[in-house]
Amino acid sequence: MIRRQARRFQGAPQDSAASSTASHRQGRAPLKPDGYALFWGSPLALWQGLFFLAPLAFLVLMSFWSVKNFRLEPDLTGANWVGMWRKGYVVDTYVRTLGYGALAAVVSSLIAFPASYALAFKTSAATRRLGIFLLITPFFTSYTVRIYSWQGVLSDDGILNALFGYVGIGPVAMLNTLFGTVIGYLTLCLPLVILLQLFSLSNVDRSLIEAAHNLGCGRIRTVILVIIPSAKVGLILAATFAFILSFGDFVSPVSLGGSKPPTLSILIVDTVKQGNHWPRAAVIAVTMVVTLIVVAFTALYFAYAHRRARS
Amino acid sequence: MTVDRLIRRMLRAYVVIALGFVFVPIVISFIFSFNSDRFPTLPLGSFSTEWYEAIFSEGQVPVAFRTSLIVGGAVALLSTFIGFAAAYTDFRYRFFGKSVYMSLALLPPTIPVLILGLTMLMFLSRVSLVGEIHSVVIAHVVFCMPFAMALIRLRLSQMDPDLERAAWNLGASSWRAMLGVIVPFALPAILSALFLTAAVSFDEFMIAFFVGGVNETVPVRVLNMMQGQVSPRINAVGSLVFAISMTLVIVAQFLLMMRRPGRPMLRRT
Amino acid sequence: MAEPLLVLDKVAKHYGEITAVHGIDLEIARGEFVAIMGPSGCGKTTTLRMIAGLEAPSEGEIRLNGERVNERKPWQRDTPMVWQSLALFPYMSVLRNVEFGLKMRNQSAKTRREKAMGWLERMGLAAHAGRNITQLSGGERQRVAIARALVTEPEILLLDEPLSALDAHLRIRMQSEITQLQRQLGITFAYVTHNQSEAFAMASRVAIMNGGRIQQVGSPREVYRTPANRFVAEFIGANNIVDGTLRGNDGEAILIETGLGQLRAPAPIGRSYSPGDKIALVISADRVAIGAAPKGGAINHLEASLISEEFIGSVVTLHLDIGGERVFRVQKQAHELDATAFTPGQKISAFWRAEDMFVLPAD
Repeated sequence: MIRRQARRFQGAPQDSAASSTASHRQGRAPLKPDGYALFWGSPLALWQGLFFLAPLAFLVLMSFWSVKNFRLEPDLTGANWVGMWRKGYVVDTYVRTLGYGALAAVVSSLIAFPASYALAFKTSAATRRLGIFLLITPFFTSYTVRIYSWQGVLSDDGILNALFGYVGIGPVAMLNTLFGTVIGYLTLCLPLVILLQLFSLSNVDRSLIEAAHNLGCGRIRTVILVIIPSAKVGLILAATFAFILSFGDFVSPVSLGGSKPPTLSILIVDTVKQGNHWPRAAVIAVTMVVTLIVVAFTALYFAYAHRRARS
Repeated sequence: MTVDRLIRRMLRAYVVIALGFVFVPIVISFIFSFNSDRFPTLPLGSFSTEWYEAIFSEGQVPVAFRTSLIVGGAVALLSTFIGFAAAYTDFRYRFFGKSVYMSLALLPPTIPVLILGLTMLMFLSRVSLVGEIHSVVIAHVVFCMPFAMALIRLRLSQMDPDLERAAWNLGASSWRAMLGVIVPFALPAILSALFLTAAVSFDEFMIAFFVGGVNETVPVRVLNMMQGQVSPRINAVGSLVFAISMTLVIVAQFLLMMRRPGRPMLRRT
Repeated sequence: MAEPLLVLDKVAKHYGEITAVHGIDLEIARGEFVAIMGPSGCGKTTTLRMIAGLEAPSEGEIRLNGERVNERKPWQRDTPMVWQSLALFPYMSVLRNVEFGLKMRNQSAKTRREKAMGWLERMGLAAHAGRNITQLSGGERQRVAIARALVTEPEILLLDEPLSALDAHLRIRMQSEITQLQRQLGITFAYVTHNQSEAFAMASRVAIMNGGRIQQVGSPREVYRTPANRFVAEFIGANNIVDGTLRGNDGEAILIETGLGQLRAPAPIGRSYSPGDKIALVISADRVAIGAAPKGGAINHLEASLISEEFIGSVVTLHLDIGGERVFRVQKQAHELDATAFTPGQKISAFWRAEDMFVLPAD
């Protein structure tokens, strides 16, 4: 497969003046298979082909293998697929994980919006830069450690309940609940969602906002009728990323949500740890990837829907 | 007018609260890494560095740091090299199937790390490459290389493509033009990519958890520690990880800002 | 005398250290077409934005129908604007754009549709009602912007250089369309532009601004013939401004010593001058005859060599060299000069009547 790609290259760096000027406008030369081009062109193709595409292809393949007498055997059976999807708890878990992902997307988008709105419209450029810097920092802290911190904070003997104790409430159970899981998801997604929303809100044409005010549109109405539709693409993108991250997350549901009821990620880890049933785990994994691709494309479709005229 | 001011103040307060939420776990982890009590709650105990001492005296954490260092270094070098090659190819050439080619670099971040980890585990174990340090390196390069590529590609887009052609025109071969023109120009981005990919690899735990086997990187060690009982050592580890990652990122930022596009290159060949 | 619709009373705008508008006074009567014009940065757009409520005046009062509106938010005022960038909502159809103002007044869907379609028909855009605004041409989008602003039947319409993005041909057409529209509707128009010919073609009154101050307000003809100061004289039309010193005054005419020689000008009424005073004179380029002197009255005369001829459509401008790198302009209709051939360097005799000169008020 890689050889075939190499042969597709046409063109050479030591081109004649004619073809150089022809491609001058794009600044790119068509390639011919000379050593230089192959040297620079092949690392990506080789490495990713071998260690990314092949494993993914293998994953799909693996979902058709079978386990006989606790031994993994190459096969071409649909039994794993049929078997997994027949199980009630698998379907439940799938639907639940979809729900969790959607919940994370909605909650993080709603919580992020006033913050990104404030940073886009109500702060000075310097404050905005500071805000952006502060929002990028968490990407370089350990997510697991942050979740561990939340464990401590939300625990029955933890900081929040200690504070509640001072005012006579509690203890309030926050760990091992959906609430805990959502806190975890927010820890994962919120900075990214705020940044993406901020970016698209900053690019809204200010004169549209002024025109709306000028025509009688009050503050909140302007946000709903003008600002959000203008920033639609970025807002949908942010929610989609939140969904993708939460859908596949393992740490939050386990550490803060108590693992029960399980999500698809927990199911995969369990299937692998106990019983080593790779084909079944592969079925879940492939399902997750396909779901994410469908969700991503649907989101993009809706994001760019404004091109069609509405009446 | 006053309604406007009130709205502005409330929104700004909201931003502070949102940022607070984001930073609460980081700050708490840092504070409690110095707290003498085992359990993170109020009221605070006394100041103590025992947890830091503990993680360095017992065996697994220092080993994990060593592992992370080796992995990080190898991943940085490999991903930056492959990322540079991909960025340069994108910059320089067009060919049939280019968008398929480029998607190889752009797809990995869209796959959940859990699935990437699982997939790599399955594949690498089939080809007997699993469970070793190099397993983690291989998997991490797949994951980190897109970051390197994006960074370097961005830098190359700031360069006048005629610079390379000028070098050829004056007698330089492709290789010499690469070494004399492209690399010096892209150097800040290359150095940044080294540090950035090291930082990303350093923090990545899911893939490392699956493919590393007994070889634990630092975040995998934390994950395993979390499966056990409450341990304030995690806070100490976490704060160290944060300090190291931030340093790497700040150095990367600094290097990227050092040379701006218009500055002349004062290199002697 | 009916009360003016809009009054700007000592309105000023400061941005920290910088003053964009220095305490201006302006009254706009009902049904007027007023053009506010001036060079870039003169404060005209800031003034318009203050009327619309998009900027708050630092000093002074803005009154609409006698009521102070300084504190009113933009959406509380009835001052729709046609924007320089048009600011049409890109994700809405033409009809939705035009209906917007009515929707803000919570009018029923049926009423909105009827009124909006009425305006679209008036603008010749009924066929485009369902289309997205990105599918329309520049001129069509312009008309949508105007319809959108007028659909609520406001008392005053604000226009901020709406034609500046159009090509010359379309611009001229839109100018006459807008003028006709205003005459038909009788709505007050406040029109900001930096283009002198545009303002003069459309407005019944012009206000000229420079450096944040109003330099002169008057009908286009008044401003053209009797500029209030040097800036206006230089900004409007093709005027020659000559500086000199008063030498004599016989009650009817004054004699001024200038770089062009001794010139006679009518004695300005209501002012007395003494010999030695510095005087600035304005001679409109189109009041100058060449070749032969016009009949009657005191004639001023100038001999100069031709630098160049400039054709702009039906008007020809001759640039004469009067020494010291200054140019004396003579404007003639092209047909008047059809029979004459000019060569650069040729000596030209220029004549004009003393009464066609205008003495600028002392600055």
